[in-house]
Amino acid sequence: MKKLFAVLLSVMLLASLLPMAMAEGQEPITVTVFRGDPGDQPTEDNKIYKKIEDELGIKFEIEFLAGNLDETLGLKIADDVYPDLFDGGNSAETLENAEVLIDLLPYITEEKTPNLYKHIYTNDRIKQLTTDDGKLYIIPNYGINYNAQIQNYCNGPAFFIQKQVIAWNNYQVPKTLNEYFDLIERFLAANPTTPDGTPYQGFAILCEGWRHFCLINPVQHLMGRPNDGEVLIDVNDPGFHTETFIDKPYAKAYYAKLNEEYHKGLISKDTFVMNYDQYIAALSNGTVLGMFDQTWDFGTATASLETSGMYANTYLALPLVYDPEYVDGKVIEEHYLNGTVMNKDRGFGISTSCKYPERMVQLMETLLSDEWQKTLQWGFEGEDYSVENGRMLMTREQYVNRSDAKWQRANQAKAIWESMPKKQGTMDDGNAWDPGNQPEIYFEQMSDYDKEFYAACGVKKPADFFNAPIELAPYGEAWQIDKAPIDIDYNDFLAIQDRWLPTIITCDPAELDANWDAFVAEITPSATVYTDFMQAEVLKLVEQALN
Amino acid sequence: MSTVTKVQKPTITPKKKKGFFQSLGKQWQLMIMSVPMLLYVLLFNYGPLWGWLTAFQDYQPKKGLAGSAWVGLDNFRFLFGREDFRLAIRNTLAMSVINLVLGTVSAVLLAVLLNEVRNRTFKRTVQTVTYLPHFLSMVIVVSMAQNIFASNGPINQMLLSLGLVKDPVFFLGKGEYFWWLVGVINVWKEVGWNTIIYIAAMTSIDPCLYEAASIDGAGRFQRILHVTLPGIKSTFMVLLIMNIGHLMEAGFEIQYLLRSGLTMKYSDTIDVFALIYSFGSSKPHYSYGTAAGMFKSIVGIILLFGANKIAQALDEDTLI
Amino acid sequence: MTTANVQVKKSKKRKDIAFPIVNTIILCLLMFITLFPVLNTVAYSFNDGMDAVKGGITIWPRVFSTDAYTELLTDSAVYQAFWISLTKTVITTLTNLFFTSMLAYALSRKEYVLRKFITTVLVLTMYVNAGLIPNYLLISTTLKLKNTYWVYIIPTMFSCFNMIVIRTYILGLPEALVESARIDGAGDLRAFFQIILPLCLPVMATVALFVAVGAWNSWFDTYLYNGSKKNLYTLQYLLRMKLATTQNSSNAASSTADALASSSKVAPITVRSAISVVSAVPILIVYPFLQKYFVTGMALGSVKG
Repeated sequence: MKKLFAVLLSVMLLASLLPMAMAEGQEPITVTVFRGDPGDQPTEDNKIYKKIEDELGIKFEIEFLAGNLDETLGLKIADDVYPDLFDGGNSAETLENAEVLIDLLPYITEEKTPNLYKHIYTNDRIKQLTTDDGKLYIIPNYGINYNAQIQNYCNGPAFFIQKQVIAWNNYQVPKTLNEYFDLIERFLAANPTTPDGTPYQGFAILCEGWRHFCLINPVQHLMGRPNDGEVLIDVNDPGFHTETFIDKPYAKAYYAKLNEEYHKGLISKDTFVMNYDQYIAALSNGTVLGMFDQTWDFGTATASLETSGMYANTYLALPLVYDPEYVDGKVIEEHYLNGTVMNKDRGFGISTSCKYPERMVQLMETLLSDEWQKTLQWGFEGEDYSVENGRMLMTREQYVNRSDAKWQRANQAKAIWESMPKKQGTMDDGNAWDPGNQPEIYFEQMSDYDKEFYAACGVKKPADFFNAPIELAPYGEAWQIDKAPIDIDYNDFLAIQDRWLPTIITCDPAELDANWDAFVAEITPSATVYTDFMQAEVLKLVEQALN
Repeated sequence: MSTVTKVQKPTITPKKKKGFFQSLGKQWQLMIMSVPMLLYVLLFNYGPLWGWLTAFQDYQPKKGLAGSAWVGLDNFRFLFGREDFRLAIRNTLAMSVINLVLGTVSAVLLAVLLNEVRNRTFKRTVQTVTYLPHFLSMVIVVSMAQNIFASNGPINQMLLSLGLVKDPVFFLGKGEYFWWLVGVINVWKEVGWNTIIYIAAMTSIDPCLYEAASIDGAGRFQRILHVTLPGIKSTFMVLLIMNIGHLMEAGFEIQYLLRSGLTMKYSDTIDVFALIYSFGSSKPHYSYGTAAGMFKSIVGIILLFGANKIAQALDEDTLI
Repeated sequence: MTTANVQVKKSKKRKDIAFPIVNTIILCLLMFITLFPVLNTVAYSFNDGMDAVKGGITIWPRVFSTDAYTELLTDSAVYQAFWISLTKTVITTLTNLFFTSMLAYALSRKEYVLRKFITTVLVLTMYVNAGLIPNYLLISTTLKLKNTYWVYIIPTMFSCFNMIVIRTYILGLPEALVESARIDGAGDLRAFFQIILPLCLPVMATVALFVAVGAWNSWFDTYLYNGSKKNLYTLQYLLRMKLATTQNSSNAASSTADALASSSKVAPITVRSAISVVSAVPILIVYPFLQKYFVTGMALGSVKG
């Protein structure tokens, strides 16, 4: 009894001493955090936050975005106190422009913060990350790879087609624009309606709000380039010739093709006024045979189709290019997949109001260690994942939990993790940093239909339909360039496309040329301003990266 | 008949001979009741009006009013120099006039119809049911409207089966229809809610007036015309004047949700325009929004006083 | 005159039957038109998320599920937020009614020498708006109301629109009532509280409804001023945040395979519908109690009877 008492006492003593030892010179603090995305507050006893509090003495008071991001940032900037960790979401440039963040470079040294140092100095990444005046405000939240990058499927832009159409075509996959529409036409002729009698829609174009990329982006990919936003850049040209593509003859070819398909009945007029919910509904009902989009943009529809067992109606991503006839007989090689691009200017910055900047950098440093990264991305061993022969594995249940909001509230430090610097790619032992990329887990989740489908196509995984990622251009991806200095012209440039392209697609073929010319005439002034600006910015970035 | 209604609001001529301060001293109780709230609005509503100065600046929140650069009338020049802003003014006015007319007429009409219902349960049921859409989010209502007005939606199916049109009407994709769609959706969502205020006004109508009218041999429509409508006239007038002052406010959410590339020239109100141009980039132009807001306020106030003056001249109820 | 009367009397009987029938038909039609979106929303809110995204649901759920409500209401933070919303709504409604009605009375007195001035100043508040930033700075840095419960009460104590509504109502009451009170020697305060206020019940009920609905459904104040204070969240703010989160995660099932493996049962469309239902329910409960004041002649009945 006495022994037990002594043991208990010593355990208690230890327990009370431990945090003190840990927190030497590290008194517990509460850090205010703003996230430029909506999110869920964690529960009081969230296991990861508890671990951070116990071991690092840091508690978080997190505020999420609920309204308009830019309006909110304006208010935050006008205020006299800023959150300690400040994430500006997709408008973080606003924070940099307003000078509310501190320069992180002085805090990052090889001795004090080896993880961060390695993170941003390897491969000369630092050259791309610093601003014109040589300062570093934000360490990217995504896009810094360790070891090999695992690519199971294409998450970005592509032309999509229902798997049943490919199956119907004896698993022959179209490679060019003409082959693609020809296949859809033939399928439609043979199967005008779904088994229950709803007419199929050949090709859908989502144009709603910022998702208008489905309408205005495809041409660059058909020309054989990854996503540079609204410009086409010749990476083989030493001068990195940059041009807007939408007003060029090769773009006209695409929209003329759509016009042709519209008159053949593949495209419905309603597609131009369809909202996002209606689009997702159409996809989820399996009535849309094809579209141009990005995989993540219709995840809900994919999930809905899979839940109701309509696997044949899920989509296959295809890297289409122009047929030679459209581009003076040139044969175009597709490059939809790009090298990993750093998510520049996205993530936490430390604000000028923060009283312990050093400690915040140290927090980033600690959380970037392998051990913490495993905890943040995979969870606790035995509880959230298991290890077999050195491979990290998850059961279906464990994996499914990860997308359950209620589970996340108690078991993930999502809000912090998403904006912190993180490791992606693979660990030194070959496991993927992101559980979703771990091949074992990816194949475990794959439906039987998909397994058979890909086998019949003669590939192992969806990414095999694509060329391997092209080497990232020295300027990164041009859509990242901040257009603030020419914002009014840029707005015009986009609005004119939104207004004209639907008209061009639906007009009488006899009026197509006249409409196209009117469109080009109207867009030329803003397109010129935009082109000049982008050309200069691209060159600046190239120069920065190369010297 | 007119004498009966006049009885309701007799006029008292204030004794003008007394000195201002003498009257004020006697009216200390009224001052207790009103002056604190006057101070309150001076602080909360007029205090922040320094913000209007930023319409003449390139305002940067970090630098504040003192630190931001002054640009004179540049922001106004920018706004009025743009064709789409001028279109936005047109669209705003068109949609608010349509909204005002449709909204008021439908609300008064429904209030009158409800007032004629004798069965209390039925009356309450109708009231409750019609105000419910007010609580639905605009996103839901617009989304439903988009389904209803789609080319293969119920409205088009009805028109086709009645033989009124040969091809489906492209309601959502034709700019010309946009203003009316907004008007119809607003009535659908708010008609019941807008009625509440008229129903409340009807409670102050003396039931004797109906009896008297009946004895005079007035039919139902005459009773409506000579008792019910005069009974809500002051509410109607006051709301009308108030809303005329709000003609520059046609809303934002509904247009933003319903617009598409095809209807842009008809859909964008001043508010939509201000949002797009103020926050369209990572270096927001706060001052554009302020300038547009200030313009709206000033026009609104002019309209308000104008409407009030006209009402005064016509010897109708006034707002001020 | 006489001929007209005769004609009226002749047609009176027929009209008295025809009108109620036509009226009932019109109102039933209207009920159908306005009830549809409501039932549709309720149906969506009780539908399985993955099925609901397919659309085409009318007034009955296709695959019944309470997941949207579970998602919204199982978070224990909801109860705290509900309490904040409730107290905030009650306090705001009471203070607003008190100040607004008192002011409405004062400004209905035609002999009041400051009447025109104060009315003008107040009415203009409906038309001048300084913009978001100056308003924010006033409350946040000047008055230091940020991160406090008071931010829900103090800036919303008065509404000019409601004041005008009440004033118009008071002006419609027989002047003799106030006059008689004042002859009895009562001052304006007593005249208001003892005589006018009880007569204003119908309009007070209306304004109470407006204020309560506004207070209950507002989320922007929480967002602007109390976004980092979990224990001060209001229900609407919390619900809206959950909707935004659902939308966000379904929009950008982002860089992982989550999109392909997602088993999430809720979709933005069901959550959004459930939120609409949740916001309407409390008002639906309160409304019948207010409704009994909306009866023609009720204001005067008490005086004359």
